[in-house]
Amino acid sequence: MQTYAKPKSIKENSSFTFCSGCDHGLAIKLVAQVIDELNIQRDTIAVSSSGCSVFLYDFLDVDCVEAPHGRACAVATGVKRAHRAKGNNKIVFTYQGDGDFASIGLGESIHSALRGENITAICINNTNYGMTGGQLGPTTPMGQITATSPLGRNKEYHGFPIQTVQHIAICEGTCFCARVALYDIKNIYNAKKQIKKAFEYQQKGLGFSFVEILSSCPTNWKLSPIDSHKKIEEELTKIYPLGVYKDIDHE
Amino acid sequence: MTERELLKGNIAIAKASLIAGCECYFGYPITPQTEIGEYLSLEMQKRHLAYVCAESEIGAINMALGASAAGAKVMVSSSSCAVALMQETISYACADELPFVLVNVMRAGPGQGYIYPSQGDYNQATVGGGNGDYHTIVLSPSTVQECADLTYRAFYLSQKYRNPAIILADGLLGQMSESAVIKEYPYEEIDNSDWILNGASDRLSRNIHSLEPSQLKLNEHNVNLKRKYTLIENQEPMYEEYFCEDAEIIITAFGSMARYTKEVVNHYREKGIKLGLFRPITLYPFPYQQLRKLSYSAKLFVDIEMNLGQMLKDVQLSALSNVQTAFIGKPTGDWLKKEEITGVIDNLLKDKNANIR
Repeated sequence: MQTYAKPKSIKENSSFTFCSGCDHGLAIKLVAQVIDELNIQRDTIAVSSSGCSVFLYDFLDVDCVEAPHGRACAVATGVKRAHRAKGNNKIVFTYQGDGDFASIGLGESIHSALRGENITAICINNTNYGMTGGQLGPTTPMGQITATSPLGRNKEYHGFPIQTVQHIAICEGTCFCARVALYDIKNIYNAKKQIKKAFEYQQKGLGFSFVEILSSCPTNWKLSPIDSHKKIEEELTKIYPLGVYKDIDHE
Repeated sequence: MTERELLKGNIAIAKASLIAGCECYFGYPITPQTEIGEYLSLEMQKRHLAYVCAESEIGAINMALGASAAGAKVMVSSSSCAVALMQETISYACADELPFVLVNVMRAGPGQGYIYPSQGDYNQATVGGGNGDYHTIVLSPSTVQECADLTYRAFYLSQKYRNPAIILADGLLGQMSESAVIKEYPYEEIDNSDWILNGASDRLSRNIHSLEPSQLKLNEHNVNLKRKYTLIENQEPMYEEYFCEDAEIIITAFGSMARYTKEVVNHYREKGIKLGLFRPITLYPFPYQQLRKLSYSAKLFVDIEMNLGQMLKDVQLSALSNVQTAFIGKPTGDWLKKEEITGVIDNLLKDKNANIR
C-alpha cells in the first residue's frame, strides 16, 4: 500500500498560511517533491520574492534568500555565479509571482534568460497582485475586474496583458520553458513533470529554465476554490495556452 | 606586486579589489568609472571569477546581494545617478547584513548632471537614499594610493561588520594618474561560515530575509542593527590632521578636494597664520569626537567641498559653540583653486582680526 507522505523538503511543523483554495501551497509542494526526487535538498538555494510568494522560506526546507521586488532572477544570478566562482555546483531557483517576474522584474527576468543563466525560475501566474488585495497586474486578462480595474481591463485604460512564457521562449539562452496549470490531477502530474525537467536541465547546465504556473486566487477573484479552478480550465487556458514552449532537447 | 606604478584612481581600485580577493564583479557602464569594469572584465575572466555585464545598475546590485548571500567577496562600481538606482537594494543589504563593496566615482548632479567631478553624493552615501534605519560604511580616498588602500579596508570592514561599504571617490580621482604601490592585502580574512548560503548539507537550512511580520522581532532586529552601528561609530572613524595641533583656523575637506587644501595650509603657515586641515577619511562613521577636540583651540572651521555644503552639517555638529563655521564650495566642474580659497579666507581673517591672528 502506498501512503501519502509529506515531502522531506517541506519543513517539519509548518503549515501553509495561504488563503483557502490558493494554488501556492500546491505549487510549493510540487517543487519540494521534485527537490526530494532529484535528491538536491542539500545543494539547493532558493530565491524568494515579494508578494504572496515571499513566504516560501517558511515552508521549504532549503537555504533561501529573499530578493527585493522583481529582482529574484538577478539575485539568483549572483548566487549561482558566486558558487561557480568558488567551484561549487549549486542548484538555484527563484519562486515569483507574475507581477514580480513579468512586470517590475521583467528586465531582470528576460536578461537572465538571454544570458542563459543556469538557473530555474518558477512563476505563479494568478492574474493579479494577490497580497495587496487583487489589483490589475501584467497578466490580468482583458475584461477582468480587479481592485484597480473596477470596470474590467480594457485596452484604452490599461493596455494588454503579457504572454510571459512565450517571451521567455524566444530568448536564445532559454533551454526549457512551459506553462502548466493545477486545476485537476492530470495537470498537477504534468506540472510536476515540467518542474522536474526544468531542474534537471539546470543540473545538466543547459541554460535558463522556466515554468509558468496558472494558479487560482479565490480570495481576490471572489470565487470558490472549485469555481476558481473551473475559471482556469475554461477561461484562462484559452488566453494562456498550456504546453511546452521550448525544449532544446527536442529541437 | 609591491612596485611603484603610475596608475589611474579607477585602475588602482580595480587592481586592489583583485588582491583583496574579490570573487564577483557586477557592473553597468557609466562615466567616470567605466575603467574599473573594463579592467576587471579580462582579469576576472582569466581567473575564472564571476563577472556579469548586468542589464542595469539595479540588476548589478541585486546580483551583488545574491553573491554576497552565497559568501563571496563582491564589488560593484558605478557613479552618482546610477548609484541612486541602487538605493533600495543597499537598504535590503543592510537589513540582511550582507557585505559588499560599492564604488561610487562621483559625477555632477542632480539628475543626469554631467561627467564633471563633484562631491555631490556625500548625503546620498552617508545618509542614504533607501528606506529605514540603516547606515553604510563610507570611505573617502584622497589620493590614488588611498584608492587602493581604502579598497582593502572597504572589503575588510564590510566583511567584518556584515554591512555594505562604499568607496566614495570622484571623477577627478578616478581619472587622475599618479604613482602608487599596490601592496599586499593587510587584513585578516573574516570567517563567514556561520551565515552564508551554500546548501544545508550538514546543518539546518538558513534564510536571509528582511521581511519580518512580527513587530517584536522587527523592533529587535532594528535595535541590534543600531548596536552594530554604534560599535562602528566608536571603533572605525579615520581621519587625517595636517598642521592641526595649534591651529586657530581649521579647514575641513574630504576626498580629492582635501589634497588641494594642503597647499592653502602651507600658504598661510608661511605667513605665520595658524591654519590646519582636518580630513575625515571615513565619512560614515564621521569623526565627530576628533574634530570636536580641535574646537577647544580653534576659533573658525572653514568647510570646503565640491558641492554646496553637504558635509557642512557634520562639521557644524562637531563644533563647540565658541567656533564659527564658514563654507566655501563649488558644485561642479573642478576643484577650487588656491586663489579662490585664499580670497575668501583673507576676507574672513579681516572680519575676525580682533580674535584670529
